[in-house]
Amino acid sequence: MNAPLHSFEPSVLIETAAARVSRAAPGARLSLQARGDLPPLNAALGLDLPTRIGRRARAGALEAICLGPEEWMLHAPEAQAVEILSACAEVYASRPRSLVDVSGRETTFVIDGPRAAELLTLGCARDIDGIAVGEGRRTAFDGVTVILWRDGETSFRMDCWHSFAPHVQHLLEIGCRELAAETI
Amino acid sequence: MSGFRIPGKGRVDPATPVSFRFDGRKVRGLRGDTVASALLANGIHLMGRSFKYHRPRGPVAAGSEEPNALIGTRRGPGRYEPNTRATVQEIWPGLEATSQNKYPSLKWDIGAVNDAAYMLFSAGFYYKTFMWPRSFWDRVYEPFIRAAAGLGVSPSREDPDSYASRYLHCDVLIVGAGPAGLAAARAAAVDGLRVVLVDENAEAGGTLLSEPQARIDGRSAWDWLSAELAALKANGVRIMTRTTAIGYYHQNMIGMVEKLTDHLPDLPADTPRERMWRVRAKQVVLAQGALEKPLVFHGNDRPGVMLAGAAQTYLNRYGVLVGRQPAIVTSHDSAWYAAFDLADAGARVQAIVDTRADVRAELLAEAEARGIKVKLSHTATATSGRLRVKSLRVNPVRDGKVGTPYTIHCDTVLMSGGWTPSLHLFSHTRGSLAWDDDLTTFLPKDTPEECVIAGASRGLWGIEAALTDGADKGRAVAAALGKAGTETAHVVEADRPGTGTSEKELPTDLDPSRAKAFVDYQNDVTAKDLRLAVREGMRSIEHVKRYTTNGMATDQGKMSNINGLNIAADALGKKQPQVGLTTFRPPYTPTSFGAFAGYHRGAHFEVTRKTQIDAWAEEHGAVFEPVGQWRRARYFPKPGEDMDSAVRRECVATRASVGMFDASTLGKIEVVGPDAVEFMNRMYTNPWTKLAPGRCRYGLLCGDDGFIRDDGVIGRLSQDRFHVTTTTGGAARVLNMMEDYRQTEWPDLQVWLTSTTEQWATVAVNGPNAAKLLAPLVEGVELTDDAFPHMSCAECTVAGMPARLFRISFTGEIGFEINVPTPMGRKLWEAVWQAGQPFGIVPYGTETMHVLRAEKGYIVVGQDTDGTVTPHDAGIGWAIGKTKPDFVGKRGMARPDLVAKGRKQLVGLLTEDRSRLEEGAQIVFDPAQKVPMKMVGHVTSSYLSDAVGRPIALALVEGGQDRMGETVHIPMPDRTIAATITSSVFLDPDNARLKI
Repeated sequence: MNAPLHSFEPSVLIETAAARVSRAAPGARLSLQARGDLPPLNAALGLDLPTRIGRRARAGALEAICLGPEEWMLHAPEAQAVEILSACAEVYASRPRSLVDVSGRETTFVIDGPRAAELLTLGCARDIDGIAVGEGRRTAFDGVTVILWRDGETSFRMDCWHSFAPHVQHLLEIGCRELAAETI
Repeated sequence: MSGFRIPGKGRVDPATPVSFRFDGRKVRGLRGDTVASALLANGIHLMGRSFKYHRPRGPVAAGSEEPNALIGTRRGPGRYEPNTRATVQEIWPGLEATSQNKYPSLKWDIGAVNDAAYMLFSAGFYYKTFMWPRSFWDRVYEPFIRAAAGLGVSPSREDPDSYASRYLHCDVLIVGAGPAGLAAARAAAVDGLRVVLVDENAEAGGTLLSEPQARIDGRSAWDWLSAELAALKANGVRIMTRTTAIGYYHQNMIGMVEKLTDHLPDLPADTPRERMWRVRAKQVVLAQGALEKPLVFHGNDRPGVMLAGAAQTYLNRYGVLVGRQPAIVTSHDSAWYAAFDLADAGARVQAIVDTRADVRAELLAEAEARGIKVKLSHTATATSGRLRVKSLRVNPVRDGKVGTPYTIHCDTVLMSGGWTPSLHLFSHTRGSLAWDDDLTTFLPKDTPEECVIAGASRGLWGIEAALTDGADKGRAVAAALGKAGTETAHVVEADRPGTGTSEKELPTDLDPSRAKAFVDYQNDVTAKDLRLAVREGMRSIEHVKRYTTNGMATDQGKMSNINGLNIAADALGKKQPQVGLTTFRPPYTPTSFGAFAGYHRGAHFEVTRKTQIDAWAEEHGAVFEPVGQWRRARYFPKPGEDMDSAVRRECVATRASVGMFDASTLGKIEVVGPDAVEFMNRMYTNPWTKLAPGRCRYGLLCGDDGFIRDDGVIGRLSQDRFHVTTTTGGAARVLNMMEDYRQTEWPDLQVWLTSTTEQWATVAVNGPNAAKLLAPLVEGVELTDDAFPHMSCAECTVAGMPARLFRISFTGEIGFEINVPTPMGRKLWEAVWQAGQPFGIVPYGTETMHVLRAEKGYIVVGQDTDGTVTPHDAGIGWAIGKTKPDFVGKRGMARPDLVAKGRKQLVGLLTEDRSRLEEGAQIVFDPAQKVPMKMVGHVTSSYLSDAVGRPIALALVEGGQDRMGETVHIPMPDRTIAATITSSVFLDPDNARLKI
């Protein structure tokens, strides 16, 4: 069940009594890697980069999640990407880093509903309870690398690369139906 | 209803009769019955034939340890499962159950001749009986043994059921919901701890379900149980029934299989049949209880001979009397209680035969009160009956001498050889065991996991002892998690504590060499087989096990291991711990393949990655091939074309005008930072310092060993930014290798890596008209040799899309690779397709790409290299930066072996008869040699080539580059083909075709 991505438009893919999976609207995604003194970068971004893995920060429409000791993923509206790239370019000489536009690389599933957290246990070996609301993790879902954002008790976003998305989506759809069929 | 059901007994529902079929015959049971209990309620003990001797067998147990009563179960077409334990399968209206391993019928089976010929089938029989003549093994013996032996028949249709899996995290996992497990759960369910209690049975309770006479804290056992389960649920304990903990893996990972639908009359929608739970528990309490052992004596396998504890369970849990005239043979107190329960339910207990000289006075008094004859210091030496036991032969034993036999008529024999603590999961943790002489069994000692073991599974006996120990262990695991567990104390009345002795095979006055005293029922291993194994030189229990197959059946020796050890130790004259215990391995009980596969079957078997252009290719009739996880278009046949003709047409059109190719799957890595060029110099064999921004270079990546790992064209986008491409299959591997060096070897470098494989969709356009086609689409770059020479790159706009444009060629023609953000891939493809129509553009696939590159002698890593090929071997030594101080593989390439003469080198081959060689075919210098000839290389690539006018091949040949023009030979099954060694560049060696 690896159908091609017919549409990049936001849409509900499946909704059951247990959970709903939809595709988020496209946006800018920037992979940032840097080390050492962060304030100049923070100033350029207008946001204090979180320094603990899994923590997130937000300034306006710009969101950042810390994925590794010197790695972040930035999400922003599409139109803001050029602005962020040029602001960071200005401090490149003093604060060398890598900022790569990966907007075309990934897509995001929005997963919510009363049993959204359980739905994730179909493919995620990590303890979902251990991800606090407002945090996130880079982890694996059914063997596929994903970034999981926990936006609420029962509300998540999952980023994955385009070619893996149909596989991930297929299992999420099976899970939505399976959980809805359960009597608890 | 038959006379074997006792009204008012058991937990079955008398108001809900359930009909099912056994071997085609309609059988009535009650809701709550298993197949075994329902058949026993109808007086049916015969349920199967044994594995080797085809002896008639009935259930010997009442739970998942059952070795004999294996049945096939069917639920309509495709839904057939062999080897299901009748003692576990719950009945539902319409269930079709069949007995196994019988022909033509269960009652009269032709395979039972094996039983008469048992002398042929002693331990190790297949090593001895079927040794000669050697040629008979494959054609006669093995097919015969395979047909005659074995259990059920494998299902032949695709399984229509679905299977599921989930992860579960908890603070405390308790395996076994008997008294010890229940008490542990109650004690640990405090202060938000996530407690999970799991049991393989359809309902929780364990022993309590079979011992309703007990009174716990002033309530009947069953009232206490239901109140306790409600309290546990109220305290947040998750109770999972029909769920078997099958294996205990590293760091408290426990595999559990939940059966969801096998007991249901109708299959609910969207519900899997089974679910594998992968549980990570901070603390584990193992409360698996103990399993009863049979006694080993001649005829101890006849239908009607069963464990006393099983008879007690059938009576108290299912309301079924297994026989009206049972005889008891025991070495443990527990069977006495079973006798009392059966007597109280109306059975005429024929006798209690105990191997022991002394038994508690209280038991003797109870027996006397019921008028049951008691025979102490006795042995059982035989049974009679064909399809059902009719009598038991017993003898007194005085001072080790077996006295005169006499016969006890009976319709069932209930035996107990004591109890074995269930240490399976504990063993999986690599826990150590200690031999206990008093209990004659192994007890758990230490484990490296965060795990405790409670109740009967560590040798404690009786409900009160189990409750107390369970509560203690529950508090202990809570304390380990920093919480104070609940204090509880339980008073149990009418408890049945007891003791017993453990026996080897029972003493007999009959010829022991003719005794069929079974130790392992499922593999038909007898006591004399074990003694024979010792006589024939087996010393370790591991050898005895393999020679006799004792404990190697699907029940994993749950009943046979300790009896087998006792007998082997006796035969060796050693103590049991010196002989040892075999290892228990997961799974605890037989587990379906479906449960292991989970969701990964059919369309979800594994990830299939597709590019954005894949759908276009499908619409245009492409034939696909898998490349790593990707599926790629291999060629685009027109109606009536086979692969060769389609590929030939695609090649010709590309070289004549222009072709287009989806190169999106190529790995891409963005290397960024002030030290990016230094990093590239160290990783790749080539020099990068002098490569100007806007230019590209072929990059070659080696391992430390100096062998080729990957290659690709690399563009320098700016001073500090490289666009690296890798092979399709190598993308993840190359990034991991680079990250490894970056993080561990050179953490001082200011450089970072980002995978951009899926950021870019890539369309390759090749052919003499490629520039002409693209020029109108490209803004910001003039596509001329002066402005944008071969091996250039630029960021620009193509067909209105932001793009990275590379002028590179993997075909020898004028070539471009256009990268646009992935979501725009199809739009770009279609724009090029439209623009190419006036030029007669063809889409081509990987097969044509392979031919075009082979005509130019360009290697494909992994096809023309195999991990032992150096750059020099491949004829691309020019890609090594000789003045660089170091790079990955530089030292490796200087090793004596890698600079020695006579290494296999990549060359071209042209066959003299103009036939196409087979890829992988071996090459020899002298075809007149005797077989086996000395092989000097092999064909790595081979294609028909229209451009060259004959088939071409690439090959690795010893010293090949010094053998230009020489003839080599390729022996094939039908003939030997001669071929001439040539340069690997077959077409346009001067690269004239690259010019615009």
